[in-house]
Amino acid sequence: MTAAANLTSACGPRIEFDGIDLTLGRTRILENVRFSVAPGSVHAIVGPNGGGKSSLIKTLLGQMPHQGQLTLHWPGEREVIGYVPQALEFDRGLPMTVDDFMAAMCQRRPAFLGLSRRVRPAIDAALARVGMLDKRKRRMGALSGGERQRVLLAQGLIPEPQLLVLDEPMSALDEAGIQVFEQLLHGWRQAGTTVLWIEHDLEAVLRLADRVTGLSRQVLFDAPPAQALTPERLLGLFSVHPRSESLA
Amino acid sequence: MSFESFRQLVQDWATAGYLPEALAYGFVVNALLAGLMIGPVLGGLGTLVVVKRFAFFSEAVGHAALTGVAIGILLGEPYTGPYGSLFGYCLLFGILLNFLRNRTGLSPDTLIGVFLSVSLALGASLLLMLAGKINVHILENVLFGSVLTVSAHDLLVLAIVAVLVLALALPLYNRIMLASFNPQLAAVRGVAVKTLDYLFVVLVTLVTVASVKVIGAILVGALLVIPAAAARLVSQSLKGFFFVSVIIATLSTLLGILLPIVFDLPVPSGAAIILVAGICFALAALARALVPRLQGNPA
Repeated sequence: MTAAANLTSACGPRIEFDGIDLTLGRTRILENVRFSVAPGSVHAIVGPNGGGKSSLIKTLLGQMPHQGQLTLHWPGEREVIGYVPQALEFDRGLPMTVDDFMAAMCQRRPAFLGLSRRVRPAIDAALARVGMLDKRKRRMGALSGGERQRVLLAQGLIPEPQLLVLDEPMSALDEAGIQVFEQLLHGWRQAGTTVLWIEHDLEAVLRLADRVTGLSRQVLFDAPPAQALTPERLLGLFSVHPRSESLA
Repeated sequence: MSFESFRQLVQDWATAGYLPEALAYGFVVNALLAGLMIGPVLGGLGTLVVVKRFAFFSEAVGHAALTGVAIGILLGEPYTGPYGSLFGYCLLFGILLNFLRNRTGLSPDTLIGVFLSVSLALGASLLLMLAGKINVHILENVLFGSVLTVSAHDLLVLAIVAVLVLALALPLYNRIMLASFNPQLAAVRGVAVKTLDYLFVVLVTLVTVASVKVIGAILVGALLVIPAAAARLVSQSLKGFFFVSVIIATLSTLLGILLPIVFDLPVPSGAAIILVAGICFALAALARALVPRLQGNPA
């Protein structure tokens, strides 16, 4: 299904990056970044490390002071953003089970008092969707990287987001985890959720994304994956070090 | 029932043999009441201190209390409870440290090292200047805690701080923890990460300062760390982590106050409290080494 086919049923927002500039210290991170994300589409961002992908996400999430216009056109009153980070910074020996983690993410009641009755059904459903229901009593630190990534995906499902921002969600996933992720993407497409997805796996982008933007400080291409991911374009994207230019 | 009549009732029951003999003394009742407030609050907040890796900070704030006391005495506050200077200086210490951590990008341990040593140098200088004017035993009490000097006023300060800390920390417990796991994710979920960081610093400072009277400036930070560290060793969930930490901190405080009195040992209360907590930590480490279930995971 294409992004265009989703337009009628989309509940997610359209995102417009219009001339975004970001400079940290003397280094220009983003320069005149200009592209838009269609509502209800799965939009991938690819590019080399240090190319500004994560900074663009931070800008979108309101964490970076930037220049230029960034607009989210929400279709209705509800404006829920879900975010799935690449990793968590926590003490691996911390006695925190999957349930504890989900409780800490999704409820006000202190997580050490257990799941609240109100959010329990949503947490059960989210863990079931990522195939982690039977491991909910395990400690987060004892999970494999792929299992932890699935739990991060599960927290992104609560509350049900209209815009989902994914930061390399497949990096630690095993084969079964990749299948889970693909099912989730299918579900988001059907629900009309806008998905902005940073990814290194170009084969997955080619297979799963509606559109892809190549970012290396500037936008190098922005097109459907089949058109965009040609050897010439990828060579151009990954052959120049994005941080080689700093401000004079 | 007023506090005075409650204390008198406890003393009467102890004299009549219904309660342990030590409770016949008013200062012991005061100290135990202080312990009943300090233990749960330090034990509970300590779990967040361990999660956020703030152990060194809580130690530093405790040590800053020494300088706070010196400033208070210098400014003419009562040497038995210079709370104005204590709270004022320690809050300034904690907030400035957090501000510079955000602004300079220096790692927390480096900044704390700088602040701790400068603050101790200031405190030592002031205390030596005051040495001729005050009884040297006051310093001993400030450094290592004393159950003899806990007054009704101290209990009131402690009660207000305990209620305030619990009222703020419990509803924000998840958010404080989440902010340390991934600030960006926390922000997306509506957590004001920087504000919460400052709030946490203030809470740790308040509870540390309010506990200085019983545990002492040198050791007060340890009760925020040791019970939670012991609980972390033997728990399999946040529930166990929190409640075991609270129980160890409360037991340590009560036993640390009572044991020197019952056995007539010339040990300051702070040292006794931390020694009991240390024994709990050693037992927890031993239990973890001996019980395989504590090392791994339930399937």
